[in-house]
Amino acid sequence: MPGSFGSITSALSALRYQQVALDVAGNNIANATTDGYVRRRVVGEAVSSAAPALWSRYDGHGEGVAVGEVRRMVDPLLDTRVRREHGMLSWLTSSQEVLARVEEGIGEPGENGVHAALLAFRNSWQDLATNPGGDAARQQVLGSAETLAQALRLQVANVAGEEADQRVRLNNVVAEVNTAAAGLAQLNQSILVTEQNGTDAGVLRDQRDQLALRLAELAGAVTTVRADGQYDVTVGGEALVSGREAGAFVVASGVTPAGDADGLPITFRVDASWGSTVLPSGAAGAGGELGGVTDVLTTALPSYRTGLDAIAADLASALNAQHALGYDAAGAAGGPFFSYDPLVGAASLQVAITDPALVAASSVTGGGRDGANADALSRAGDAADAYQRLVNGFGTTVASLQRQSANQAALTGSLDDAREQQAGVNLDEETVNMVTAQRAYEAAARLMTTLDEVLDTLINRTGVVGR
Amino acid sequence: MSIGRVTQRMLTDGSLDNLQRGLGRLARIQEQLSTGRVINRPSDNPTGTTAAMRLRGSLADQAQYSRNAQDGLGWLTQVDAALDSVTGTVKRARDLALQGANASAAGPVAREALAIEVEGLRAELLSRANTTYLDSPVFGGVTAGPVAYDATGAYVGTLGDVNRRIADGVVVKVDVDGPDAFGDGATSVFAELDALATALRAGDQAGISAGINVLNARIETVTAARTAAGTRFQRLEQADLAAADARISLENQLSTIENADLAETTVDLKLQEVAYQAALAATSRVMQPSLLDFLR
Repeated sequence: MPGSFGSITSALSALRYQQVALDVAGNNIANATTDGYVRRRVVGEAVSSAAPALWSRYDGHGEGVAVGEVRRMVDPLLDTRVRREHGMLSWLTSSQEVLARVEEGIGEPGENGVHAALLAFRNSWQDLATNPGGDAARQQVLGSAETLAQALRLQVANVAGEEADQRVRLNNVVAEVNTAAAGLAQLNQSILVTEQNGTDAGVLRDQRDQLALRLAELAGAVTTVRADGQYDVTVGGEALVSGREAGAFVVASGVTPAGDADGLPITFRVDASWGSTVLPSGAAGAGGELGGVTDVLTTALPSYRTGLDAIAADLASALNAQHALGYDAAGAAGGPFFSYDPLVGAASLQVAITDPALVAASSVTGGGRDGANADALSRAGDAADAYQRLVNGFGTTVASLQRQSANQAALTGSLDDAREQQAGVNLDEETVNMVTAQRAYEAAARLMTTLDEVLDTLINRTGVVGR
Repeated sequence: MSIGRVTQRMLTDGSLDNLQRGLGRLARIQEQLSTGRVINRPSDNPTGTTAAMRLRGSLADQAQYSRNAQDGLGWLTQVDAALDSVTGTVKRARDLALQGANASAAGPVAREALAIEVEGLRAELLSRANTTYLDSPVFGGVTAGPVAYDATGAYVGTLGDVNRRIADGVVVKVDVDGPDAFGDGATSVFAELDALATALRAGDQAGISAGINVLNARIETVTAARTAAGTRFQRLEQADLAAADARISLENQLSTIENADLAETTVDLKLQEVAYQAALAATSRVMQPSLLDFLR
């Protein structure tokens, strides 16, 4: 037989449990819009001492309820996928944004780009061919050559400026990776200690998951969970965080701390107590934003810049070779028309002539009014074709990146939805939980009153016959 | 995607995403409408961009060919006018020679008058031979000097073709070499007229009839040169027309590739506007209700 007060204890446990249920519902509602918050659910456990001592017998029917756990509704597998796809998305969007910005500066097809300048330059030679005696036509050739050289230099400067910006960004991202890694290691330790105390570390776990996601976005970091619940983080296969210790993520080569290029390929290194390792380069190395920035700095931007350099070099050599075959207004053989330094590239392309009389339009000596060489000069080289190919290639790269990142955004969005289904707070659900807890609390209180009345009957009304 | 559990945040985030996408599409169409172009940057259509750049290149070429042909037409018009008047002048000289041959008995005064007129014709011919177009003597080849023939009738120009490029790979000579029409030095029309004047003065019948024959041959030569120039004139005119036609057709093609179809884009814009408004309305309905509205 249970004791007289056993049921009162049950009622008390119910009151306490429902209080916790209300607290949790309240907390969920309060954090309905908090970033990274994972909804909690109280898991109740029926209390029973149904495992009695030896040679004894239990004839009770349960002794109320206790809080089994407050569960964070996470799905570690889903979180891993979310992190991976976010890393990929941030790779694609960061490189796409950079290239789209450069692309805006190209200004093709249009009337103000390099291509238009090339055409104007070509036509100015033809105009000179029809009027080789005129100073105005000569001046026009020099003017349009200057415009062309300027347009090429401007575009190269745009690309070089973007490269400089991205190198600074690379350093900033590396700094943020280190902050996040240190924070994550610190949280690993805090969670371990807190949970050993028996305290709920849910908030810390929320923060740690957010940092793990951030690291995936920044550097494509992969997080694995240890048996003791601590997170290990690797970047490009190399451990960055191990338990409570975080390594230092540094740029090994390619970019100086001041954001300048040092001429070497961009590589990263993790310095930690377990050794110092250089990460592999390319797709096997750092991912996320860092991977995207490294990728544009290694391939897309330099290849466009060298494409422009090649066009400038071809233009200068073809024009200079043809120019040397002609004779200027005074009948002397033509000198170099463009000056170009192959070590500097397109940024060094300059018109070498300032005196219009030195333009070698004539193909005959003796200062005749011949325009045959000007006609030949208008057809020298194939800069326009090469430039079209270059722009086409760049545009295709940007367009394909846009498509990829749109696809990846859709995929990531659906995964985020799946995660939100699991971990998000539904207000209707919480309201129902709240109402349920409230009603259960009321019922437990009523149980208490009922028992009180029962005891009252027993104590005050029993044995009063004939009094 | 199967939806097991829906949260308020999912709804708001989803609605926001959809609204953003709708706005993005609207902005894209707005850009096409306001710039009037469907290709605003290479990535909008890489192949179209290349085609547009090629077309722009061809357009610039055709415009230049047209300009070149116009300039060439100017040269040849000048050449034609000069040679026309040269033919007339030489014919007149031949007529004078015939007159001199018939009126040999008329006496030295009349012959002297004929000789003076022939000398006048020679001076006129010299000025015709030195006709210029934009300061260049049209019979002087590529000379930098102001004249093709000096006062003695010697050719002082520099032989060389004055060419104009009027189509891809097509180059046309727009001048006439002076010696082809006028001869040079002792064999020039000027020497012939000098000889005629001398013969007239002297009453040298053999000299006069030789002069008549020479001048007849000269008329043939000048006419041949003029015919050749006329053929080239025609080629230039045709090339000019062809370049103008090509420009129109190229501009059409360029517009098809680059420019936005106004009607289509406007309809698209309207469509996207409707879609966006629908998304807004749906969002406002989805966000409103919760269980709290119904619990009292």
